[in-house]
Amino acid sequence: MTVSDIKKQNITATAQPKRGLSERLGSELRFVPVAVGLLALFLFFSTQSDVFLTSRNLNNLLVQSTVTGIIALGLVFVLLVGEIDLSVAATSGVASVLMAQLVVEAGIPIPLAVAAGVLCGMVIGAISGRWITLIGVPSFVVTLGVGLLLNGVQLMLLPRTGRYNLLNTGVEKIAATNISGIWAWILVIGAIAVFALLRLSTLRARQRAELDASFTWGVILPVALVGVVLVGILLFLENLHGLPMPLIIFVGLLGVMTYVASETRFGLSLYAIGNNAEAARRAGIKVDRIKITAFAIAGGMAAFGGILAASRLLGVSVSSGGGIGGGALLLESIAAAVIGGVSLFGGRGMVVGALFGALIIATVSNGLNLMGVANEARLVVTGLLLVLAVSIDRGIERLAERS
Amino acid sequence: MTDAILSLRGISKHFGGVKALTDVSLELERGKVVALVGDNGAGKSTLVKVMSGVHRPDSGKYIFEEREIQVSDPAAIADMGVQTVYQDLALCNNLDAVQNLFLGREMTGPWWTGFRLNRAEAERKARDVLKRLRLDSISLRRNVGAMSGGQRQNIAIARSILWEPKVVLLDEPTAALSHSAAEQVGALVRELASHGLAVLVISHDIHHFVLENTDRIEVLRLGRNAASFNSKEVTGEQVVNAMVGGNEAVNMAG
Repeated sequence: MTVSDIKKQNITATAQPKRGLSERLGSELRFVPVAVGLLALFLFFSTQSDVFLTSRNLNNLLVQSTVTGIIALGLVFVLLVGEIDLSVAATSGVASVLMAQLVVEAGIPIPLAVAAGVLCGMVIGAISGRWITLIGVPSFVVTLGVGLLLNGVQLMLLPRTGRYNLLNTGVEKIAATNISGIWAWILVIGAIAVFALLRLSTLRARQRAELDASFTWGVILPVALVGVVLVGILLFLENLHGLPMPLIIFVGLLGVMTYVASETRFGLSLYAIGNNAEAARRAGIKVDRIKITAFAIAGGMAAFGGILAASRLLGVSVSSGGGIGGGALLLESIAAAVIGGVSLFGGRGMVVGALFGALIIATVSNGLNLMGVANEARLVVTGLLLVLAVSIDRGIERLAERS
Repeated sequence: MTDAILSLRGISKHFGGVKALTDVSLELERGKVVALVGDNGAGKSTLVKVMSGVHRPDSGKYIFEEREIQVSDPAAIADMGVQTVYQDLALCNNLDAVQNLFLGREMTGPWWTGFRLNRAEAERKARDVLKRLRLDSISLRRNVGAMSGGQRQNIAIARSILWEPKVVLLDEPTAALSHSAAEQVGALVRELASHGLAVLVISHDIHHFVLENTDRIEVLRLGRNAASFNSKEVTGEQVVNAMVGGNEAVNMAG
């Protein structure tokens, strides 16, 4: 006799207790505080500078945030399982130099060279991940070492001049392309449609399972929100050149990775491992394999970010990938993920946090620049923002635990 | 002869020179809750680990549904229908009740969806199972970390039930719980038995939990069977005396 044989008992169903706001802020509405913060920054800078809200400036701001954002996006996966990858900036440097070398020295077609660069990043991440899970060395030590190693490899790959010029190779077109007119509209409406279909399928499934399902809250509101943001960006940038390719790539990756992290079994495993790896292991989750995959994703994203940077900067050099040790690129990528609400202790945070974090960092930098504030003050403000963001996040977490 | 699903006969187990269990016998029957009590070091945990397949006994018989079983590994024992809920519960605090219940065996869409989670179906099944176990006060979508100790314990037990076992072994389910939380767990334990499961509970809470929620009490002392009581016909003192080895154990009939 087992549960399946037990005849259903007629028990009057007690209403499901409502979850408080603080609890929701700790889970699916986790991005709200940082989004509000970003909005506040926008309002503040628009009062301080007439230039800030112009199409040209916002275009720059958005494109500036893409490289950091894409690297942070991959980093989120590693942070979710409770690990860290300090080699992402160096990985982006090596991958971009490798891509440049393949294009310049070997004349390999650009798509192949880009694919090789990304693959190289994934392999680097997978090897780090394998080493960490196999030997049990803390990930910050392994990836710190790997980062330095890659810095050396990058210098070895570069020619005597210390630079590969990518102007007129075609690589520069990746970042310089803009999509405008009808194609931009097709892209934006297509993205909204895909999102709407996903929300609808979720709603249908809940209705079929006879669960509470709200069309307004489950479909209309989220789709309207995403629609307003995407169409808004399009309208704002349309009269300039249209949508910049780096932004399209970033938003596309963001969408795919959000799906992976929040809708798939792999994504759920990341969160489970990040909170309680032993429980995940006992539940039958292949912890090592998931962790290695997370590192491979971080490596691949970092490589892609590096290639995009190379395309924007028209070349690669010793300073690609943030220079020795990763420099500002590494610190800002980690900061972007953390400001976006991803916990360094694993198991908490959303992929979209990488977007908000990267946007906040780019906005502060851009806004203070326009105000004529010196560079040193910018670093001070970014540092303070990081501490403030994490503190607010921690406060919300405490509230959620107490309720 | 009886309703016994799981029988241990003459189980012995030693670790190096230490005899953890000597000639221990135990029977678990359908629809009955058996309490396993004993002082620290009496061999309770070792016995549960033998039953769950973690330890291979040196001698003795492990009989499940009238067949003798060669204890090989915990997974095989679990597949056979003997689930164990350990004290640490193995829950993920950042996931909700539904996600914890189905962790590691999520229902998903086909490969081209990237094995998309079928959340709605999981929630419906979780709701039904919790309802049948009379646990409908547990919020399905709430993170387990925000729940009370009793609710967490009950989710861990409910998760073991999803595998449709015949025997459930509970290692100190009330150890860290308040009296009222322990009562919640006690209600669930009786509910499991009423559904025909054989339940074994390790507990130190003799006076409240054990006497109120179990059918039989098996006492271990120094790795041996010390006494066996009908829970309805015994006092807490008698059980405790049997645990510590006083001569009063002999007087249990009186």
